[in-house]
Amino acid sequence: MPALTKLSVLVFFLSVLLSSCGISKKETALNEKNQEISLALTTEPPKLNSIKSADAISFIILDHLTEGLLRYGPNQQLEPAIAKKWKLTKTGATFWLRTDAKWQDGITVTAQDFVYAWQQVVNPKTASGYAFILYPIKNAESINKGKLPLESLGVKAIDDFTLEVTFEKPCPYFLELVAFMTYRPIRKDLHQEWGRAYAADAETFISNGPFTLTEWVHGAKIVMDKNPHYWDKDSISLNRINIPYITRDPSALFNLFLEEKIATWITPALGSGSIKKALKEHLSLKKFETGAVFYFEFNHRDDRLTHNKNLRKAIQHVIDPYLYTNKVLGIAGNTPAYRLLPKWLIGNKKPLHEEYPLTPVTIDHKIARDYLARAKQELNLTTIPPLYLLIDDGGSNGSLTGEYLQELLNDVLGLTILLDKQIFKLRLQKQYQGEFDLTFSGWAPDYNDPLTFADMFYSQNANNSAQYENVHYDMLIESTYKTTNPKLRAQLFAKMQRILQEDAVIIPLYYSGNIYVQHPRLKGVRRSRTGSSINFSYAYIIPENITLTESNNQPEAMPETKKVMP
Amino acid sequence: MSYDRELPAIDKTEFLPYSGRKQDPIQRPSANYWQQAFRKLKANFPALISLFIIIGLLLFTLIGDKIWRVDPYAQDLTQISSPPSFNKKALVIPDKIHYQPVYLSNLEDYTVKTSSTGMSIIGTPTTQFIAFKWQPVAGAKGYQIFRHEYLPHGIDDLGVPLGTNDSGDHVSYLDALRLEPIDYFYSVIPIFEEGQLNQYSTIKITAANAIALGDAVGLGIIPKHQKMHYLGKVINLPAHPLGTDYLGRDMLARLIEGGKTSLFIGLVAPLIFVFLGLLYGGISGFLGGKADEIMMRFVDFIIALPFLLFMILFKVAFGIGPGESGIFPMLVALILLSWPSVARLIRGQVLQLKEMPYIESSKLMGAGVFHLTLKHMLPNVTGLLLVTFTFAIPSAIFTEAFLSFIGMGVVPPTPSWGSLCNDGIQTLLTHPHELIFPALFISITVLAFNLLGDGLRDAFDVKTKGERP
Repeated sequence: MPALTKLSVLVFFLSVLLSSCGISKKETALNEKNQEISLALTTEPPKLNSIKSADAISFIILDHLTEGLLRYGPNQQLEPAIAKKWKLTKTGATFWLRTDAKWQDGITVTAQDFVYAWQQVVNPKTASGYAFILYPIKNAESINKGKLPLESLGVKAIDDFTLEVTFEKPCPYFLELVAFMTYRPIRKDLHQEWGRAYAADAETFISNGPFTLTEWVHGAKIVMDKNPHYWDKDSISLNRINIPYITRDPSALFNLFLEEKIATWITPALGSGSIKKALKEHLSLKKFETGAVFYFEFNHRDDRLTHNKNLRKAIQHVIDPYLYTNKVLGIAGNTPAYRLLPKWLIGNKKPLHEEYPLTPVTIDHKIARDYLARAKQELNLTTIPPLYLLIDDGGSNGSLTGEYLQELLNDVLGLTILLDKQIFKLRLQKQYQGEFDLTFSGWAPDYNDPLTFADMFYSQNANNSAQYENVHYDMLIESTYKTTNPKLRAQLFAKMQRILQEDAVIIPLYYSGNIYVQHPRLKGVRRSRTGSSINFSYAYIIPENITLTESNNQPEAMPETKKVMP
Repeated sequence: MSYDRELPAIDKTEFLPYSGRKQDPIQRPSANYWQQAFRKLKANFPALISLFIIIGLLLFTLIGDKIWRVDPYAQDLTQISSPPSFNKKALVIPDKIHYQPVYLSNLEDYTVKTSSTGMSIIGTPTTQFIAFKWQPVAGAKGYQIFRHEYLPHGIDDLGVPLGTNDSGDHVSYLDALRLEPIDYFYSVIPIFEEGQLNQYSTIKITAANAIALGDAVGLGIIPKHQKMHYLGKVINLPAHPLGTDYLGRDMLARLIEGGKTSLFIGLVAPLIFVFLGLLYGGISGFLGGKADEIMMRFVDFIIALPFLLFMILFKVAFGIGPGESGIFPMLVALILLSWPSVARLIRGQVLQLKEMPYIESSKLMGAGVFHLTLKHMLPNVTGLLLVTFTFAIPSAIFTEAFLSFIGMGVVPPTPSWGSLCNDGIQTLLTHPHELIFPALFISITVLAFNLLGDGLRDAFDVKTKGERP
């Protein structure tokens, strides 16, 4: 009898387990028949209103739901979208819009929709975190600071399908900008009718992109369906994108993938543990260079010790990005950074780092100690008081990096480092308020131009959280505003990069790269460095029964293994 | 009525003492309260073992660092997250990596193939770096390099994409990305103008454990003045009986160091708040009446206060800035908020004792408050006190561990068992020892104190007077 009871309990639990499996069975990574895919997100998109959005997750969702004047095609190339042609000059740009672009309710997208949206972005009442990205447009900055009326913005609808933009300063990368999320159109009538509810729910969202927002259960689920009114719907093969999971736990995401519940997930990248597991499962691993650079930033405000150049130089000569990236961080995908501007940025014709190479800082403890001695003399201190390193506990290994630096600087220079660990949002707040000596920070590009990195250290830039001020550097930045000559600009950027190194403004650590897994039958997913980091608009499912061209290439015989250890 | 009867005469002999066989004495050696308690504890096997474990743990944390003289803060980047090891060996290699990228222009003897073949190792493959080269492929504009830990199954399973050589005549690669002394399978795919072809080649390379000369000197493994003598030799690395953490720090040394924090909080906080509780509960119970009523309502008030909130408030009030240890506010919060439960227990006991007949008689005989407290009350609550104290320790240790786990206790680099667990949980999948050891220490300590407390409670309980627990 007891055996029977045990058995019945077991059966009961099994049936519960099976039934729960049955419920979730509906969500499969790929559904070939209905052309559906399932994905997972780390958090719910905080703001889907394109004029206000400022975070990566919202950008990803928005990129599927809306479309701007230009877009990134399947291979990351800029191509016409709502604008069918354009003219870019030093003083402005003109866009001619296509007449068949529609909103999801069938109403045509007009030039007025763009004018309204852009005016709303720079409207001080909107308080958009990305208003600065419109600053190349005439009067945008003044309007945003409340000095001029909205109507004075340098953008005009000549007629329903012609949009004319006047620049504040030359902007050779303006076409990149109009593909950005903040430049997307807004329907004036609905924006005013819905007010605060605009883009807060699936019912109050209007799309003009390849997909529409069908269902949005906050914090739990998002469903996007193909937009029947999209002008280019024939090039979209997916009927539905399901996002039934929203979780931050990397191992949960990995297990969902293993169980074929999701085709891939957005962030975070695979860590060392997951990579080992993936290798064991013989999963196909892929790499995506996110384009972001991570570095230590010094606080250059007058009242901080790190205002002293020799102290900064001392620290600079101790930190070895190669050792840090390979041994301390040790996560595949990241590459050591010796300079601010990443490898992929183009100078005149070739990559900037090839045209204007920069010798890395020599790592030498003796030089570092000499600089420190000089710093102490200048500061008139016998010992340097503790320095605060601001880190966050997000996904970028702040604690690990902090503890490494703490011991390294204590060991080599005898400096005391206190770790100020905050949540990401608070870290940014403290960073912009200048409550730090050093901070472990990163910067992801907004557009494909070195300026997106370089103008972070321009004294007039709101993103210059270090408050670095250098007349010479400012002059170089201002020179780039005045020219569109690629050769001259490349030279200017090379000079800025040299200043950043010689003045020890920041200490570059690594360029981030993500190792990820994706369902082998899902193709055409575009990952890009700017704007939306991932896009499934052009994704397609390879039918299961068709096998790809058989690989005849067998791995050749293993060469003799070399062994030295006894 | 009167009873006027004569009583029978009693013979004197009927009152002689018994002279038969002596009876067995029904008695045991007289033992006082403490002796009895100790005897019962000795018979309680789990409690006794726990007592020894606790003594062992105290010795471990107090004199552990005198015996295991390893700096708990020293980082060894050559041995990151290494599992427990005793005599790990390593090859001493030069500090500078002698690696010259191989380009076709400086390659004397090569044949251009149509598929990438002829992969060969450059130099000695070690855990510091592995370098290899391959024969160039005609028409390739670059190469993609992969690393696997198992034999690849096909072109879709080459492992981790390490990097790309952007030029067709750059035919070598240097890999230094956290290598372990295991077999690696490196694959190279040539990239052509029109994309990727379905061809690759693989080489198996076994990495030997190695240490750079400068690191070996820095760690004090080899003497500085004759370091060149050791170059190319195999040396013994320092033993790590419990392995190392994610920055190559010795886990044993960190556990000893972390134990100091954990046991400090675990012993000092209960010691103080149990004493406070005794004082408050004793006075309240002894006074009784209105005073007792008021004092107990205050206790109810304190019990209702949330601990975590006060912990944060104290942290702010004491001006503990970021990056400074939160141990002191934690101690204060623990003491100020934990005594009421002890006070309640003591007060109940004192109220009960007060009504005992022997107290009454003592009072009648003119005993003063001082005499009553010292001679009657205190000895009678000691047992209860000791049990409460033993149970308070594990909960204090747990609170510390929890607070350090969520980042409110110790700050890096100071370890505590809780913060070690927090660090270890991130590498649970790959290096479980970083979580298991500190978690084990917390569990064993808490379990030992609980079992001992259980044993003490039984031992001091007069109702279970039997020999068996």
